[in-house]
Amino acid sequence: MQKTIKVNIEQWNRLLIKLADTGEHLYAPIRHNGVIDYKLIDKEIVGEIVYNEAKPASPLKIFFLPIRVNVTRVEQAVGRIILIGAPACDIEGLKLLDAIYIDEKYTDETYLSRRQNAIIIGAPCHKTDENCHCTTCSVNPWPGDGCDISMSFTGEDIILTPMSEKGTGFMNEINSLVNVGQLEAGDIDKITRLQEASAARLADKNNGLPGSEETGKLVNAAERSFWKEHSSKCVSCGACAAICPTCTCFLLIDRPGFEKIKQQDTCQYPAFERVAGGEDPLRELSIRFHNRYMCKFVWKPERFGVLACTGCGRCIDACIAGISKNEVITEMT
Amino acid sequence: MKKHTKQDKGKSLYNVLKAKVDEIIDESPLIKTFVMTPEEQFKFNTGEFIELTLNGLGEAPFTPSSSPFVTEKLEVTIMKTGYITNKFHDLKPGAILGIRGPFGRGYPVDRFIGKEILIVGGGCGLAPIRSLLFTLIEMKDQIEKVVLLYGSKTPTDCIYKPMFAKLNSIDKFETHRSADKPDGTEWDESIGLVTVLLDQPGVDMDNSIAVVCGPPVMMKFATLRLLELGFSDDDIFLSMEKNMSCGLGKCGHCMMGEFFVCKDGPVFTYAEIKHSPEIWK
Repeated sequence: MQKTIKVNIEQWNRLLIKLADTGEHLYAPIRHNGVIDYKLIDKEIVGEIVYNEAKPASPLKIFFLPIRVNVTRVEQAVGRIILIGAPACDIEGLKLLDAIYIDEKYTDETYLSRRQNAIIIGAPCHKTDENCHCTTCSVNPWPGDGCDISMSFTGEDIILTPMSEKGTGFMNEINSLVNVGQLEAGDIDKITRLQEASAARLADKNNGLPGSEETGKLVNAAERSFWKEHSSKCVSCGACAAICPTCTCFLLIDRPGFEKIKQQDTCQYPAFERVAGGEDPLRELSIRFHNRYMCKFVWKPERFGVLACTGCGRCIDACIAGISKNEVITEMT
Repeated sequence: MKKHTKQDKGKSLYNVLKAKVDEIIDESPLIKTFVMTPEEQFKFNTGEFIELTLNGLGEAPFTPSSSPFVTEKLEVTIMKTGYITNKFHDLKPGAILGIRGPFGRGYPVDRFIGKEILIVGGGCGLAPIRSLLFTLIEMKDQIEKVVLLYGSKTPTDCIYKPMFAKLNSIDKFETHRSADKPDGTEWDESIGLVTVLLDQPGVDMDNSIAVVCGPPVMMKFATLRLLELGFSDDDIFLSMEKNMSCGLGKCGHCMMGEFFVCKDGPVFTYAEIKHSPEIWK
């Protein structure tokens, strides 16, 4: 596998413009009105890309699971997309999405095609947000084996480390397009220090939160009254699920011609599990609320061996009722 | 033969196989059986289910009620109970429907070999059971006995009425029926909930398995009675009714604890799911 390389930021920006000009779709985080989110990159905004900040507002799943899509038509020739600056929490979340959508028996071809055609350039979070808590979910604030390339910005240079064969292939491609700088021992040390500082900050900030395994036990054991009390402010808007990197539930809507539209859905909406006869296991708000925690911390780990919470904290950011999942969990301890 | 759940490369999992409705049989005031001819032969194992689509309106999960050994025709028995099932009931012969599937895990009939099989059905829950009965008739040399206990709300609500006499004429098969209450029509069988028939189950408890399919409340009390009778958790097979929408273990609507009922079920042993939440709702 190819080794870590260093590219000066000016060179890097020129490379991105060159790729964009040749029709490549590059998405990277841009700060707009104080909010960081992915944007399609062109020469006008390439200089505005933010590197190694905390996670973008949108989870990475938006590139693989559109909010609404016609699933009776398999997408033809989905072009390559290059996702720059994906945070570790979202990359970790893809493991669950892959387990569900790239299933041995029923592979979702649209999802698979989008995954295969994406190059994920992950970025360690040198900065963190108020609600970030990946370390409590056994996720480091730097990308691991789920991305293709890991990328850090030193202030002057972009450091790129291949993490997969696809990543190596992409780095081979760009090698001929940029002048690669000489990597110095200090570069890696600097990145490592920043990453470790992030991890330490997260651990310190979240020291009241139990680890993921303990959380599962607590969620399982909490009484009905606990969920009733903590769900009382919930308005079932579903924002927590929409913004969650691992929530993937959907609704099928029929259209003439036996076509089916797959639309993002969530167990937080009333009638999610209702059957024709009227039975509805999730009829009560508190049961729906509890269901989400059970799904994330108990059932998905039992089923797929991975936690369905990667600690991004977006559900806390998004909740219009001001419910903090972390406060709920802390109160269980 | 090709099973339609196997996805062809480049073909969507959500495409349907079209089927023409040949005949619609009134089984009871609320239940009809739709006899269809799929545009290709359709193979399924007993207890597996399909998603049946009404073009542009919606789809719903049903376990075929016909014999798995007949691949040219497919029968689905539908109770009028909600928006889409009402629409199905409005259909006329000649209508074109869409089929996806078969999906899920049906009855593990290999486990029934050498056993006495006690089947408890309620209402439209007899639909999957009829398909199972067709299978058990084919394998009657390998099983000891089949006792079918069936309950309906009234004698008029009893479905597949001609089937019972036919079954009783087959060696090793016997049936008993109950109606929750009389309705003035001729009825020479029991009155009461189907669980009254479990007072005398008529099988050798040391060599029996039980199959239960019906409305959730009936499944609950039948299962509790079977446990009282001494059936082990692992010998009670339940056909679970959940909101199975995609059929592929993806959409999440049918999750019951860690299980996707559409993929891991719909047939489960009680042992498998007894710790899952809200199984009777």
